[in-house]
Amino acid sequence: MITVALPKGRLGDKVYNLFASIGYDCSEIYDDNRKLVFENPENGVRYLLVKPSDVAVYVYHGAADIGIAGKDILDECGLSLYELLDLKLGKCHMCVAAQNDYKEDPSRPIRVATKFPNIAKKHYMSFNREIEIIKLNGSIEIAPLVGLSDVIVDIVETGTTLKENNLKVFEKFLPISARLIANRTSYTFHKDEIDSLCSRLQKALEEK
Amino acid sequence: MQKFINSLPTEARLPLELSKLYEQFGYQKYCMSKFEEYGFYSDNRDFLSTDGIIAFNNSAGKLMALKPDITLSIVKNARTLPHLKARYYYNENVYRIAEDTHDCKEIKQCGIELLGDVDSVATAEIVLLGLKSLEKIDSNFNLIISHIAFVSSALEDAGIKGEQRRKILGFIKRKNQHDMMLWCKENGIDKKIIDRLLKISSISGNLKEVLPALKELVTDNKTSAAYEELEGICKAIEGFEFFEKLRLDLSVLNHLDYYTGILLQGYVENSPSPVLSGGRYDSLAKKIRGDGGAFGFAVYLDGLNLHYPNKSEYDCDTVILYDKSDSALLKAANELCEAGKKVRLEHEMPEGIRASRILKYINGSLTEVAE
Repeated sequence: MITVALPKGRLGDKVYNLFASIGYDCSEIYDDNRKLVFENPENGVRYLLVKPSDVAVYVYHGAADIGIAGKDILDECGLSLYELLDLKLGKCHMCVAAQNDYKEDPSRPIRVATKFPNIAKKHYMSFNREIEIIKLNGSIEIAPLVGLSDVIVDIVETGTTLKENNLKVFEKFLPISARLIANRTSYTFHKDEIDSLCSRLQKALEEK
Repeated sequence: MQKFINSLPTEARLPLELSKLYEQFGYQKYCMSKFEEYGFYSDNRDFLSTDGIIAFNNSAGKLMALKPDITLSIVKNARTLPHLKARYYYNENVYRIAEDTHDCKEIKQCGIELLGDVDSVATAEIVLLGLKSLEKIDSNFNLIISHIAFVSSALEDAGIKGEQRRKILGFIKRKNQHDMMLWCKENGIDKKIIDRLLKISSISGNLKEVLPALKELVTDNKTSAAYEELEGICKAIEGFEFFEKLRLDLSVLNHLDYYTGILLQGYVENSPSPVLSGGRYDSLAKKIRGDGGAFGFAVYLDGLNLHYPNKSEYDCDTVILYDKSDSALLKAANELCEAGKKVRLEHEMPEGIRASRILKYINGSLTEVAE
C-alpha cells in the first residue's frame, strides 16, 4: 500500500486524475463528503488530502510515502526529500514585483513582503543585496500599495492580480511547477513500486 | 538478562546491544568530556556536520564548547601509529543548535571509528558492523553504500567547481534529474557529462546487481579504485544472510567537505529519516594525525522510542501488595527477580501501572489477587 499526500484544490484534482489514469483509482474520492483519507486496497493506494503547503511535511515525516508539492513550497521549506518528477502542472514563476513606477534606492535595504522568506533571502543573497523581510500570509499585493514594503516576492501565474493593483513584474527568477516528491526511507523500501509509478506517470504526461 | 534487555525501551536497549557488538569486534570504549576548548572545533569547522556549536566561557574566561561532535575528539586523541589500526566505539550525547527550530538539542549517538590502516578487510568490517547495527533496530532495514569518486571524477572532467559543483550535487542528492538536466543545458555543460551525471543519480539497487552498471562509470584511476573497493565489499558481505539489504545508491552524497570515499547511510522501516550515517574521512585524519585513513559511522538513537515503542502490554510482571513488612517479603520478591521477573512492592495497586500478575503477601505467603 502506497500513501500519497495530495494537495487539496484544483491542482490536487488534476493530479488525482493523473494517478487514476495509471491505475491508482480510488472512486470514493468523488463522494461528496468531508473525509480526508481515502483508500483503495485493491489498487494498493491511500490518499491523504492535505493543505498544499503541508504536503512536504507529511512526506518528510513519513506519514505519506510520496506526495505532490509545488517547487515554491519545496524550496521554501528546504526539507530533505527526493524530488522524482516534474509533473509540469500548475506552472508559474517566483517573481519580484512592485508598483509600476518603483525605482530601487541602493542606499538602504529593500523591504520585501512575501509568503516565502527563505526563497526571498536566498535570491537577494545571491547578489549580496541587503533586505528586510516582512512575512505575510496572503494578499501580498497590498504591501507596496500601502507603503508596507518596496517590493513583493510571490508566485505569478498570469499577472492579472498584479495588473489590477498597479503592480508589475520586475524580475522572474524561479520557474515553478508541481513535483512528485518521496520520503527517503519510503523510497528505499518501495523503490521498485515508486520507480514504476514514476515512469507510468511520465508516460501519461507525455501522452497528454 | 537478554529478556530484561529486550524489555527496555529502544533508546535504552540499543546502546547496550551495540556496545556488546562493537566490543566483540575489538573496539574499545571511548569516553569524552562534555566540554572541550571551542578553538579545536572552530579550527576544524569544515569537518563538523553542524554550524551550531553551543559555546560558553568557563570560570577562567576560556571559550568552551559543549561537545558538538565525537569523531573529531577521537581522531585528535587516538594514540595508535598510522600503519596500525585503532578501533573505538562510543555511546555519547552531542549538543547542537537545531537547524529548524534553532533550539539547543541533545542528540544520542552510538558509533564506531577505525583509524590508521583502513585496508579492505577493515572496510568490509565497518560495513558489516553497519548492517549488524541496523539489524539490532529492525529486521527490515537497508544499508546504502555510495562512493564520491564517481561524481567527483565527472565534475572534475568537466571543470565544474565552486557554486556550480554545489548546485549539481544538490540536484543529485534530491534525485532531481529534470532540473539538473535543464540547469546543465542552460549552463553549457557538455552532453556527455550530463549523461554521466544522470546515470550517477539513477544508479540504485542491490550492490551486486548494480555493479555492472557501475563498471560503465569507471573512467580513470580514481573511479577504478572506487569500483574495486565496492566490488571487494560485495564479495566480503555476499555470504551473509542480510547481503540483500546492502544497496548501492550514488545519490547519497552527504557532507562532502568531510567524507573522502565510501559513504554509508542506514534506514529502518519505521523511521522516516536515516538512522545511521558515516563514511571514509581520510582528509580529517591527515589534517590532525598527519597520515593514515579513517572510517566510521554513527547510529542516531533519537526518536527511536517513538518509531519503535515498547510493545509490552504490562509495565511490570508482578505487583506484590503487602500490609506489613517482614524479612520474607523481600526474599519472595528477590526470588521472582532472580527468575527474570520485574517486580514492584506496593501497599496498594499504583494508578496507571499495568501488571500481568498481582499477588498479595499475607502471613509469609503469596496469594493471587483477582482483578
